[in-house]
Amino acid sequence: MIDNLHDQARGRDIAVVGIYCDFLAQQEQSTTNILGAILKQLANRGGIPEHIRETYRKSKNEFGHRGLRLPDIVEILKKTITPLQRIFVCVDALDELTPKHRRELLKSLQEIVRISPNMRILLTGRPHIDDEVMEYFSKAVRMPVSPTQDDIRSYLKMRLGVDTTPKAMDDKLRADIMRIIPEKISEM
Amino acid sequence: MLSGRQQVTGNINSFNAWTRYNNIINITAEQDAERDQILQWLSPLEPQQRHEGVRTNRLDCVGNWALETDQFRKWCDVQDGCAELVLFYYGNPGVGKTYIR
Repeated sequence: MIDNLHDQARGRDIAVVGIYCDFLAQQEQSTTNILGAILKQLANRGGIPEHIRETYRKSKNEFGHRGLRLPDIVEILKKTITPLQRIFVCVDALDELTPKHRRELLKSLQEIVRISPNMRILLTGRPHIDDEVMEYFSKAVRMPVSPTQDDIRSYLKMRLGVDTTPKAMDDKLRADIMRIIPEKISEM
Repeated sequence: MLSGRQQVTGNINSFNAWTRYNNIINITAEQDAERDQILQWLSPLEPQQRHEGVRTNRLDCVGNWALETDQFRKWCDVQDGCAELVLFYYGNPGVGKTYIR
């Protein structure tokens, strides 16, 4: 999806950034670090904007080089995003953040979108965070995800292609796998 | 053969070019060091690396249905200021929200 957006954005002043949340990285995936990672991708794409350089130098000199705090980074993001024609922000597996960070992130994104309506947000997550998402973005468009039968067939074909014990396979077993598994999954 | 004067001028010129070249290198190296520090200061996370992993492992064409839905297209093209700026894909673990591999 991110690659598809990248293709659409090529040659236009459109940025695409992606964040993958992970249970195993809950500690370091704080709201500040996540929003910082969005900035990092923007800086990697088009060079570091002068205002970020200035803020960095100031923080280095004035505050004994303290790290960024959430309000700082929200302000920097707003400033960086505003001149862009459009920015797509994709956050995968939002449910894997801690509840505290998840709420903070949604709240920050809500605040940024209010100032920068050129931002589009794509979120993915398990169904139980639906209420939270709707709380911050009541007009969010919700899309259920389930693999199509075609997707499952492509997947099975790929897995059968890398079978480590191909001798145990015959045409009938193969046909059964390709028929029964997609059926069963769509019944789930 | 070059005259003494020509040779000296030549040497000075190449010396100037050489110092200019070194200055440029120093400036670039300094800027690059600062660039790395700034990127690190912005965030220790490296989501681009994770994306490379997903891109390498995912099965092509799977999940294209999601790109072809009206909702996705509309979300890509919707004008600024419209309310539907957020798209939320939800599903249970393993259904392929991130990718299928």
